[in-house]
Amino acid sequence: MIRVSSLTKQYGDFTAVKDVTFTCRPGRVTGFLGPNGAGKTTTMRVMVGLTPATAGEVTIGGHHYRDIPNPGRHVGVLLDASAQHAGRTGREILALGAKQMGLPAGRVDEMLDLVSLSDTESSRRLRNYSLGMRQRLGIAHALLGDPSVLILDEPANGLDPAGIRWMRGLLKDYADRGGTVLLSSHLLNEVELVADEMILIGRGQIVASGTKQELLAGRSGGGTHVTALDVASLSSALESAGYTVSAAGDGLRVEADPVQVGQVAADKQIVLTDLRPAEGGLENLFLELTADTQRESITSEGVAV
Amino acid sequence: MTAVSADASPTIDLSGTEQVPFGRLVSVELRKMRDTRAGFWLLAVTGGLLVLALGITLLVVALDDEVTVSANAFSQIMTIPVSLLVPVLAITSITSEWSQRTGLVSFTLEPHRMRVVWAKFVTVLVLAVATIALAIVLGAIGTLLASAITGNDPVWNLEADVFAWTLFQQMAYFTMAFAFGLVFLSSPASIAIYYVVSLLLPFMVYGTLYAFFDWAQDLIPWIDFGFAVGPYVGQGPDPSVEPSTTTLMQVIVTFVIWIVLPFAVGLRRVARAELK
Repeated sequence: MIRVSSLTKQYGDFTAVKDVTFTCRPGRVTGFLGPNGAGKTTTMRVMVGLTPATAGEVTIGGHHYRDIPNPGRHVGVLLDASAQHAGRTGREILALGAKQMGLPAGRVDEMLDLVSLSDTESSRRLRNYSLGMRQRLGIAHALLGDPSVLILDEPANGLDPAGIRWMRGLLKDYADRGGTVLLSSHLLNEVELVADEMILIGRGQIVASGTKQELLAGRSGGGTHVTALDVASLSSALESAGYTVSAAGDGLRVEADPVQVGQVAADKQIVLTDLRPAEGGLENLFLELTADTQRESITSEGVAV
Repeated sequence: MTAVSADASPTIDLSGTEQVPFGRLVSVELRKMRDTRAGFWLLAVTGGLLVLALGITLLVVALDDEVTVSANAFSQIMTIPVSLLVPVLAITSITSEWSQRTGLVSFTLEPHRMRVVWAKFVTVLVLAVATIALAIVLGAIGTLLASAITGNDPVWNLEADVFAWTLFQQMAYFTMAFAFGLVFLSSPASIAIYYVVSLLLPFMVYGTLYAFFDWAQDLIPWIDFGFAVGPYVGQGPDPSVEPSTTTLMQVIVTFVIWIVLPFAVGLRRVARAELK
């Protein structure tokens, strides 16, 4: 598990990370979410000892990263998939890692299989790789030493939708076997689907953390999206029940919980074809929480769904 | 999974893991020197230069009956092609960690940066020794071939102390290249400065001044390592200069200026430098 305690990192007058505290537990995928420049990468660099902390500390499995012998065997790290020698082949990059960690050569083929890089692809040089292929190679590199902790910075960046689905499955499976995963992203939807817990960071400070449910709990007016065979009668039924209704695409957006909407529909025997919490509940929260840390100012229209 | 049990113990058990042995770091670094396209071509071109130098020397010997090239001279000729390009490998061994940003990986797999740097330094020394060994072997082959072509007896005159000094000189120049790499952490800057200091200044500037001015003959051996070490490797600009306490002091002074100081400054730089 990863424990970050009161971590602060200053560059001169600029505070990149300010008093950050959080924990990533084994068996869970923790998403580290924030806009660009919020301090995600700095925090991760401090975790693996590339950048010294100004104050506070990070322990991984109870140890400082520096004190972990042959750390590749315990902690898998991917900070930047493009930070590999452009003139080396993908296979050679993995072979070097395997050699340094003292792993059998067969491990390289296992990992190439795992991330679906073919023999032809793995014998090409990194400069000819797409970003998606670099990410796959980077994930293979992080998993080489069969670590119990994974630290991945923007691993979904550059992956196509199928690739993101594949990675989600891989990380879920990894966490289910007891592994600890921390992955960062600046895109909510990348993290939302894979992370059990989320840590939201903006301008170097944690602004919220918890599971998706915890983050949304207590937030009033999340709203519901509903579609029915007879939208018009559902709309009037809901309005007469006292809810605010507005048209949204094929269906309606109702300022009520799904259960309340469902109840009205059941009473009136209206057939629903879709009923779910309105999209963007978490996104709104994310934008709100990090609003004063965004580069662009968010207007109320900009946030509305 | 190495250490996380079903009940998800929050600590990692490190008792079964050894630090990566230093020898393994060295062999990884040796592999990194030749597994890139740049490294491959550098060594390939060096191989080509060696064949060319060997061929030209043999041609001269074959065409001119008066010329006899001794094993010592042959080896010295072979030292030139292996010294021209190979120091670039010593430089990029460290600078590519920054320019290619591989340091992000190298220094997370081995967070004790100085272990990585010392492993690289060992590979640089290995490389220096290997180039001299190659030059000697090719020198011997060339001597035998020349003797077969001309029918003259081969001259086996390689002296132990000259050999030792040549080896020292080569290691010093490779270390200088590596040290500039440490200081600048940039391939173009390090390579440019290295060739200016090791090749351009001695040949274009010092050599000319030395030939024309008395003061230059006194001064230059105190500021250029190649001139200082010249009397020991039989390549001094003035063959009349015999090794003495003064020449030994010159070797020490120039060694400190061009090798020890940059190395020390560079180590400090690497220990603190951030990898972006």
